[in-house]
Amino acid sequence: MATMQQPLTINITETAAEHVRHFMMVDGKEGYTVRVGVKGGGCSGLTYDLNIVPEAGENDKIIEEHGVRLSVDKKSYVFLAGTVLDYSGGLNGKGFVFNNPNAKTACGCGTSFSV
Amino acid sequence: MPDGALTQVNAGAAHYGDPAVEFAALESGVGVTDRSHVGRLRLRGADVLDLLDRLTTNKLETLEPGEGMPSVLTTSKGRVVDLLTLTAADDYLLCLTSPGRQEAVVEWIDFYTFAEDVTVEDASADTAQLSLAGPGAATLLEGLGVDVSGLPTFHSRAYALANADVLVWHTLSVGTPTYEIIVPVAAATGVWEALTQAGAVPTGYQAREAYRVQHGMPVHAAEFGDDTNPLESRLKGAISFNKGCYIGQEVVARLNTYQKVQRRLMAVTFSGNAQIGDALKSTDGVAAGVVTSVAQVPGGGTLIGLALVRQEHAAPDATLLVADRDTTATLSEPAFALATEPVEA
Repeated sequence: MATMQQPLTINITETAAEHVRHFMMVDGKEGYTVRVGVKGGGCSGLTYDLNIVPEAGENDKIIEEHGVRLSVDKKSYVFLAGTVLDYSGGLNGKGFVFNNPNAKTACGCGTSFSV
Repeated sequence: MPDGALTQVNAGAAHYGDPAVEFAALESGVGVTDRSHVGRLRLRGADVLDLLDRLTTNKLETLEPGEGMPSVLTTSKGRVVDLLTLTAADDYLLCLTSPGRQEAVVEWIDFYTFAEDVTVEDASADTAQLSLAGPGAATLLEGLGVDVSGLPTFHSRAYALANADVLVWHTLSVGTPTYEIIVPVAAATGVWEALTQAGAVPTGYQAREAYRVQHGMPVHAAEFGDDTNPLESRLKGAISFNKGCYIGQEVVARLNTYQKVQRRLMAVTFSGNAQIGDALKSTDGVAAGVVTSVAQVPGGGTLIGLALVRQEHAAPDATLLVADRDTTATLSEPAFALATEPVEA
């Protein structure tokens, strides 16, 4: 049976969304947007960027899921399409984690990637 | 100066009559060379230093106006895209690239610019670059009302010279202290004439190249490029080992920490003929390296060169053989200041 091709997007897990909502509430930033993106740098060439901002950028792609508004600039979206934003908690947790299917290699500490 | 000089196409002459006199001026007087073929970029925006700090090897983030430093643009595999020389001018960062490399550098920076406030403008065509080198360079400039005393290496300052607004930049562009004078193209001939009338000897690229090789300064496509890392090309002085991450940092740090550098740039004195690309081998026939630059000291002097030599053969005073020639190659440590010393603002 043929399967329908899902459009590439960026998703946020329920766990990550819960933490985003919690941080927004603590900081008095309810209704803000989570702006994710990519920056040049890190050992492997590209690093992830995540900020809680009042408004999305003018030409950003907007995604709403689990009560959280995500935005991503168009150039970063090329490198992030298909990514799932998760949250890794506990003593050994890493905080917000980008599970990016486009990342072919990562540096030793895991904070940067190349495509 | 000859017609056609001071342009991107014809960046100065091979010589202006006698390369031996020009070489002597660099060694014991003052020589001036048209180096307008070097790439010059102006980078503007609030995030310029932050971005370049993430893309290159040196610690640029805290660069103050007037300060400068060399830094290497590296790939994630630690290979060299280009050696950049940077200085913070009034409202922009001026960046020198290797000749002909400005487009590649602009493309590289563009690729890694996402949401940052950074614009890059190629200033290579609207500016000229006159390079004043030799032990008398500072005194000559002072005689023209340009007091460069106390201007540290890699720092720059704006001056008026021959009725033109120029940027004078203390660099190591031939391996020893040099003053690069960045001038609008329209004023370049006037500045050149003021310098030569004050006693600077017009110096072509033959003498300049011999001087570069003698001082062990690496250049793109010969001593460094996409098949070398900055440590084997002796660019250690352009690397900060405590600044944190930049593209390629993991590889460069590992090579340095575990002493895994496989080759080293060495200065070479040849007993006979040699050419760029010649293989070097040990006296018992083991492959030892490759010749990357060759120059004859003007006036019938020695044939000298630079070579990338495998670590186990890269000892000062070691003698190697040039493959397929009846020539020996005697090695020495390159004198270029970046080879060993960190350069920080």
